[in-house]
Amino acid sequence: MVEILSSAFMQKALLVGIIVSLISGIVSVFVVLRKMSFIGAGISHAAFGGVAIGFFTGINPVITAIVYCAATALGIEIVSRKGKVSEDASIGIFFASSMALGIVLISLSKEYTVDLYGYLFGNILAITAGEVQISMVVAVVVIGLILLFLKEIYMTTYNEEIARVSGIPVRAVNTMFLIILAVSIVISMKIVGIVLVSALLVIPGATAKLFAKNLHFMIATSCGVAVLSTAAGLFISYEFDIAPGGSIVLTATAIFLTALFLKRKR
Amino acid sequence: MKAVEIKNLTVRLNGREVLNNLFLSLDEGRFLGVVGPNGGGKTTLLKAILGLIKPSSGDIRVFGKSPEEVLKSGRMFGYLPQVSKVAQDFPIRVIDIVMMGRYGRIGMLRWPKEEDRRKALEYLTVMGIEDLKYVPFSELSGGQQQRTSIARALAGEPKILMLDEPNTGIDVIGQGDFYHLLKGLQKRFNITILMASHDIGTIPAYVDEIACLNYTFHYQGDPVGALDETVLNDLFGKDVDLLHHTDICEKCERLRRV
Repeated sequence: MVEILSSAFMQKALLVGIIVSLISGIVSVFVVLRKMSFIGAGISHAAFGGVAIGFFTGINPVITAIVYCAATALGIEIVSRKGKVSEDASIGIFFASSMALGIVLISLSKEYTVDLYGYLFGNILAITAGEVQISMVVAVVVIGLILLFLKEIYMTTYNEEIARVSGIPVRAVNTMFLIILAVSIVISMKIVGIVLVSALLVIPGATAKLFAKNLHFMIATSCGVAVLSTAAGLFISYEFDIAPGGSIVLTATAIFLTALFLKRKR
Repeated sequence: MKAVEIKNLTVRLNGREVLNNLFLSLDEGRFLGVVGPNGGGKTTLLKAILGLIKPSSGDIRVFGKSPEEVLKSGRMFGYLPQVSKVAQDFPIRVIDIVMMGRYGRIGMLRWPKEEDRRKALEYLTVMGIEDLKYVPFSELSGGQQQRTSIARALAGEPKILMLDEPNTGIDVIGQGDFYHLLKGLQKRFNITILMASHDIGTIPAYVDEIACLNYTFHYQGDPVGALDETVLNDLFGKDVDLLHHTDICEKCERLRRV
């Protein structure tokens, strides 16, 4: 244990892991309550296209991915709100076409393909000092926005029509949440990778919902599950020399299944 | 003052005309029952008044203001959507739901104050559910859930209470009590109530006015006349048997003799 914590790269990994877990923990609560798991999975796969744009243009892939994912999230929302295409179909279309765009752009810029593995499956051990700072800033902004507009997000999640009748600008709240979701996905992508990131946005919230009697309790539990999964997953990955992304998500899954078992027993 | 005034209202949803040429004039403090078959446009009418649906033509005034203006202020209506529209497994306690009713008054970037807490508790007491304040919503009976939702709607101290099929999920015995309770609220707070329901048999005994809606209004006014056979045929189609809620149910007696 001491040995793990004494290495600088593990310290950084653990620090970023905890920061990102707090973000995904709080966002996960609303992903689960708003039944947005599938849109989360869609946006996270779209991140592949966003990262590829970064590789292709030479701009920092995290920035292109944030912009691309936010645009995709809003695109899905607009297409399905117009009513011509159902939401699941529009997620499916955006998701697949973004992956295709990514594949095309990557094949055009062969020299960068080495980094690609890190984006797809996560590379928490290769976190740079700059990325630690970015994740701290994102954490302050995302968690700050959610807490500032907690009433509005909560009521809109409970029932959109009641929220509108109470004078809450529901569409603005929903748009803000979609952008928060896109940013959280991109920032979590570094930890567990594009393929697994949606797990961090679903499992903590779903676990917390099993026991939650109110919102604050659910947020606290969800953040706790996310932090515990990341920390324990990292140690397991170090001990047994396995991929951290996989071990973090499997740890989270194990916590969820244990919680489900305890809940059923009661 | 007129609480709600509607002229010439027509609403189309997805290309289909749902409401046609409605006129309505409701005085402040009255209890209006909007009855009619499912799919007859009751919910659409309520939503148009609330400003949630834009009419294709006609004019709606709520205390002299347009629904858009009213929606922005967020203080005019206490609204109960149909029960099925609210997630049953949402992690929320009774007190949290009632406090939600204050959000429109509290406003953005502000937090509930002592007064908001006091009001929330006050309306819990009015609805007789103060002992349940820390109980999760999902653990309540249908009747308790409706009382909680009404406490939430009242907590915003609205001028108009809009109820969409509020008797769903409450057993038949409880329904009479429920309407009685609404009647009491109307008198106590001098609040205007608009209630949509398909329960045409019981409602006339409790409301001040009734409007029979199926695509257009087939009857408006005194609740007693709404039970007229021609109105009911217009509303529900032919071959409608009405079960009057009296001490002795004539229809049941007749059926028993057959």
